[in-house]
Amino acid sequence: MTHPVNSQKDGAGLGFRLTLPAQILVLFIAVFPLLMQLYISLTDWSPLTGATWPQAWQFWNSFANYADLLTDDRLWAALGRTLFIMAVCVPVEFALGLALATLFVDDFPGKRIAYSILIMPMMVVPAVAGYMFFMLFQSGGPVNDILSWFTAEPVAIAWLSAPNLALVAVIAADIWQWTPLMFLILLAGLVGVPDDQLKAAALLGASPLQRFITIVLPRMKVIIIIALAIRSIEAFKIFDTLFIMTGGGPGVATETISIYIYKITTQDLIWGYVAAVALAILIVLSVAAIWAMKRMAR
Amino acid sequence: MSAIHLQNLVKRFGAFTALKTMDLSIADGEFMALLGPSGCGKSTTMNMIAGMEAPTEGRILFGERDMTTVPMGRRGVGFVFQNFAIFTHMTVRQNLDYGLRMTRRPKAEIARRTEAMAEMLGLSGMLDRRATGLSVNILQRLAIGRSAMMEPAIFLLDEPLSNVDAAFRAVMRTELKSLQRQFRQTMVYVTHDQLEAMTMADRIAVMDHGVLQQVGTPLEVYNDPANTFVAKFIGSPGMNLLPGRLIHGDGALHVDLGPLGVSAPLPGPLAQAAGRSKREVIYGFRPEGVQLAPDAPLALPLGVTERIGARTILHLGNGDSAVRAVFQASDAVPAEAILRFTPDPTSVRLFEAAGGNAIRGA
Repeated sequence: MTHPVNSQKDGAGLGFRLTLPAQILVLFIAVFPLLMQLYISLTDWSPLTGATWPQAWQFWNSFANYADLLTDDRLWAALGRTLFIMAVCVPVEFALGLALATLFVDDFPGKRIAYSILIMPMMVVPAVAGYMFFMLFQSGGPVNDILSWFTAEPVAIAWLSAPNLALVAVIAADIWQWTPLMFLILLAGLVGVPDDQLKAAALLGASPLQRFITIVLPRMKVIIIIALAIRSIEAFKIFDTLFIMTGGGPGVATETISIYIYKITTQDLIWGYVAAVALAILIVLSVAAIWAMKRMAR
Repeated sequence: MSAIHLQNLVKRFGAFTALKTMDLSIADGEFMALLGPSGCGKSTTMNMIAGMEAPTEGRILFGERDMTTVPMGRRGVGFVFQNFAIFTHMTVRQNLDYGLRMTRRPKAEIARRTEAMAEMLGLSGMLDRRATGLSVNILQRLAIGRSAMMEPAIFLLDEPLSNVDAAFRAVMRTELKSLQRQFRQTMVYVTHDQLEAMTMADRIAVMDHGVLQQVGTPLEVYNDPANTFVAKFIGSPGMNLLPGRLIHGDGALHVDLGPLGVSAPLPGPLAQAAGRSKREVIYGFRPEGVQLAPDAPLALPLGVTERIGARTILHLGNGDSAVRAVFQASDAVPAEAILRFTPDPTSVRLFEAAGGNAIRGA
């Protein structure tokens, strides 16, 4: 108190020293794996070489892995497919989720039961969801049975073995499982829209659609951004459901980034290259996410 | 502009009756206050006028037109919400012209009318500001202006001053009253604050438990309450009400107030209206009408003395025989343990012991 300037300076120094262990720990957790990955990504190291990872420098190849990934057609195809799944799933889930949430703002008989049933898919373990849709889309499965009933002639589409149809099946499974999450988040946002404002708008002559566009959507902006961000990131990482349904097949027809990385890690064992791919994706995705969030927040 | 007629209006929510057979006519251009404690049905009444709720029974007319089933967006009603319900994600201008934009008026007309309204309300300088962080009186002006843009026949205000701190309420009241003079609109104002109702309204409709108790000008309601509820509710503090029984003495009618003593003779017209002797009545008088005198007929022990600036309130007696007396702060405050007093004869009112309805002199 007597030497405010000094004591403040001491305080800052002391604070730094006191939190140093925690800072080192955080640094280790967050930064170490990245540095390790960066190091390995600059080598041709693989566990098959017999060398341990610190000795990876023996296989130093500078930026050859990064040069390779630019011309890796399978990687680019997987990336394109992942973005395609994302671009279909997220908007459809958003639209369905918003429509359902709008229905659930008002009371109706049986609302609680309908609500419980609706959020159930979200509780299903993704691997189990994968198994369920695997069974549904068998050529002798219920999906074909229903189609047969509608068309009045036997349908035996081999969904999971036809390249384009397999993608449709995978997208259907993702939408089934994750629309409930979108619904939950958007419902929370909708309930938070002040009733007074909606009434005021109605009294000023705004139609229900006008009220939705001018009051509800702007009020829900932050929630919508969060919901879209969560789902986009998750959709980009799609793996378990898809892996059980198609394993990325037929061929590479449903191979996404995660499946591709899984395969080159466990089957090809080219770990230097895997590290380069993973790091490149992390960087591109982070930049894209930050750009998108900033843009949407405006 | 338009008159409002409520005919046999009833509202039930399940088994609960929020409003019992309400009949009320509000004249064109009148400022009517719906006054009552919370749960008295005043807000329900207003929501039905606005069309936010449908009446269970009865009709609502604006002038000659039956509005009972007209949806709220088409009633031509301006509504000012308790919290003003300003669209804070828009600018002041977007708030003001919201209704005109939604009803797709020509752009030039929207701009012209918005600017005229802003000019009138003193909001011109802040049209392109975001409608956040505005002070309450600006919010009130904006809320009224936003409704006024639609040129409504009727303005409904739902306790707009209840969230405003006491110091600012007087400013807001004055402003609101002058806005009403400018717009010359029929206004219905819901409040639980009798001071707001007394100072602003042309007439007051006092409500309690879903029943309309009395309709009249502020002075009528204050001077001639229709029943003990109105007598108690209007005025601060409310009217003193003492149970008693009529007796004859010295050729005049008095009220025997039991332990307090026997009142001074009732004034002629009131005595005539009160009728026979031995009748159970409630003897009422305003705290402002209490006169102290050593030879006055009534006596009560002095309790607490409240000094509230310009006025001093004496609390006499307790329970059934509690009396409050209001004096100017400059008056000498007595300190005797037992005070002798009598109400000013012109301030005395009588009510039926059963039901509490006023017994009125001719």
